[in-house]
Amino acid sequence: MSENAGSRNPLQLRDQPETCRTADAEERSAWQRVIGRFADNCRARSLFVLHYCTGCGAIELPPTITSRFDMERVGVSPMVTPRQADILLITGYVALKTLKRVILSYEQMQAPKYVIGFGSCTINGGMYWNSYATIKQLDQYIPTDLFIAGCMPRPEAVQEVFLELMRMIDAGKANAWRDYYRNYDHYLANQQALFGPQWHTPTDIVAEAKHYGLMGPGTTGPHTRLLDQHAEWALDRIPEDYPERGENERSER
Amino acid sequence: MRPENYKPVRHPPSHEYELYFGPNHPGIEGNYAIRVRLKGDVVQEAITDAGYLHRGFEKIMEERLWVQNVALVPRICVPDPVPMEESYARAVETLGGIEVPERAQWIRVLMLEMSRICAHLFTFGGNAATIGLYTNMFWGVTMRDLFLDIFEEITGARIYHMYITPGGVRRDLPDGVLDRLAAVLDELERKKPEFDDLFFENAVVINRATGVGVLTQAQALAWGVTGPNLRACGLAHDVRRDDPYLVYPALKFDIPTATSGCSLARMHVRRAEVEQSVRILRQVMERLRTVGGPVRAHLPNPLAWNVPAGEAYARTESSKGELAFFAVSNGGPKPWRIQVRGPSQMHGVQVLERILEGARIEDVAQIMFSLDACPPEIDR
Amino acid sequence: MTSQRASVPAQLDHILHEMSEVRVTPKGERRVRVDLAADRLPTLLQLLKGHGGFLHLSSISCVDWPETDEFELVYHVWSYESKMLISAHTLIAKSPGRFVSVYDIHAPAGFYERDIHEMYGVHFEGSPNLNKFILTSWHGPPPMLKSFDTRAYVDETYAWRDYNPQWLKDIAAKGGGIEE
Ligand code: SF4
Repeated sequence: MSENAGSRNPLQLRDQPETCRTADAEERSAWQRVIGRFADNCRARSLFVLHYCTGCGAIELPPTITSRFDMERVGVSPMVTPRQADILLITGYVALKTLKRVILSYEQMQAPKYVIGFGSCTINGGMYWNSYATIKQLDQYIPTDLFIAGCMPRPEAVQEVFLELMRMIDAGKANAWRDYYRNYDHYLANQQALFGPQWHTPTDIVAEAKHYGLMGPGTTGPHTRLLDQHAEWALDRIPEDYPERGENERSER
Repeated sequence: MRPENYKPVRHPPSHEYELYFGPNHPGIEGNYAIRVRLKGDVVQEAITDAGYLHRGFEKIMEERLWVQNVALVPRICVPDPVPMEESYARAVETLGGIEVPERAQWIRVLMLEMSRICAHLFTFGGNAATIGLYTNMFWGVTMRDLFLDIFEEITGARIYHMYITPGGVRRDLPDGVLDRLAAVLDELERKKPEFDDLFFENAVVINRATGVGVLTQAQALAWGVTGPNLRACGLAHDVRRDDPYLVYPALKFDIPTATSGCSLARMHVRRAEVEQSVRILRQVMERLRTVGGPVRAHLPNPLAWNVPAGEAYARTESSKGELAFFAVSNGGPKPWRIQVRGPSQMHGVQVLERILEGARIEDVAQIMFSLDACPPEIDR
Repeated sequence: MTSQRASVPAQLDHILHEMSEVRVTPKGERRVRVDLAADRLPTLLQLLKGHGGFLHLSSISCVDWPETDEFELVYHVWSYESKMLISAHTLIAKSPGRFVSVYDIHAPAGFYERDIHEMYGVHFEGSPNLNKFILTSWHGPPPMLKSFDTRAYVDETYAWRDYNPQWLKDIAAKGGGIEE
């Protein structure tokens, strides 16, 4: 099944049994558009923001979310886990140590996912332009849909950016996450420039890109080669008689 | 890839395990992490891990002019920025031998006490949220917003005011702001019974917070605890009274204390402090209506201001405890060294690590919030 | 020993009397500066704590003086009884940059020593934990040293976004600056 995965229609998400009637590309794309449009429309109305306070801007989130400005009335509410969240709000400067966690959290979120850079620190370093400890441009490391200018932006600005994001999602324009798959090598290169050539995350972005049908010319490259080695290394090491998971658990009890 | 703080437990017995608390965790205040080793539900060891908010403040302050740093300092502690501005300004004034006009001193006290109320309201909300009471959070934050409106009217900004500058304050109060502040204070007092009902008389809070995270007075003194956390152990020490600055000696206020040193006691002290702050604010408003004069001392050209060489240690009572700026000048246009001593550097690291030992996992977040540690202050 | 003793409280005077070669300078109402040799510092802190009630170590500061190749360590201790802050200044050589820990006298020293070790590279013997704390992702030199140039580091590590709109050019053409 896997050897011809690359030759298939990229829009086809799962391998289906050959006996099913396979829709031709034109038919599929028409359906896809209708369903996609509908899905976008729904998506834009139920957004969950990952509860990750990276910098000082996080102090304006409680007012935005609680009674006074009340984001929940437009369908945005906080979420505590990355897996269930749609929006990663980078609330301000990102220290090197945080950036690692931000990248990890971002990769754990399920597509489609959106990133909002909050405050001038994420745009071009802001206040901390000459600090050795913070990154200057967020979108070099993870793809960013929208930025809010200001230091710090007011709750109204946060609301405005959420509404703008909804409009973009509704119109199918908030697609920065696809860029991460298409140009993974570029992002990984920037990350490695900071964290050393051995840096990579446990998330298999290349496999995910295949899964979503988003393999692009920039997905793999000189910087992702390390990951291939890693995968081979892992395959080599799994012993033949590796116990099945169920067995293992039973014997422990 | 593993986080660099990852160290596997050596030969772990099966009932002992390690848990990461943060940095991305709803129970954590800010961007901060604690690694806890647990045996069943009980914490055996807690190791804090900071640096997620490190910006190298002390370094970049050396690279900027004295006056440029006014914009930088409030960002050191996000929920309570005004004491930062005040300490920095006072350190520079001590170095430069500048006398602050009286009206500016009263205005500064006004700002400081408003900031204290804001920070305490925020802590109430956060503390209640860690034991699952979200209404409190909503009310606290909304109440705080009324104060932020006053801040905005006075300074033009909600959070980072950059209002207190060496030599005074940036500009005078706008007309009528004192009346609006009086209305907000009345509103706060009107809401107080409701807040009490929701938090201090709530059976959930009383059961969850009594006797949790206890600090004895001897421990508190040995570990460098300051501020409300120290007063909750029965020692009435307050920088505002014992190392007075600005016009605090002319103000009447009590220093609330508690004796049990537990989470609930700390919150009770904060509640009483809010009351005292309201009392101070009322006195300050009274005086501000009569005291006139300039709000800024005459400074040399700030862009070419060589602050005289020397060193100064300016202490302030922030809502979290003793805050101090150590400023060294070598007579140049830029600071030679500025060090920030934040109260959370004690509360959030050594004290937290110690009082978490033996606590239960569900209380970890609550203990951290009741100590009111502020991670950006630890990281700087 | 200097002559300014008169304005230092009697109790403190008594303690400092036991130490030789200590220079005491009162600096304002509740501030006293003490200068002494590095090897006497733990004794002073011990005496102040035992006899003067200086229980609270407010902080330890480190200042880098590249001309003389020295670090200046400043220990700020506060007394809850006499309501006074003593700043004990001492100088240590930059190399090897070692000093003794005062953790056994004042527990808060643990944090500050760890911080100074990280930011300046001073090693404190006997300090309970000098592991990296804040800068675990940092591989460069101790950043607070004056020899480390953060501006140069930033310029070579990070790229700047191009942003040069017309209004900015106009201001630059006018010679820039603040408009009154
Ligand atoms: S943009 Fe301003 S408010 Fe936001 S993180 Fe940076 S300094 Fe803080």
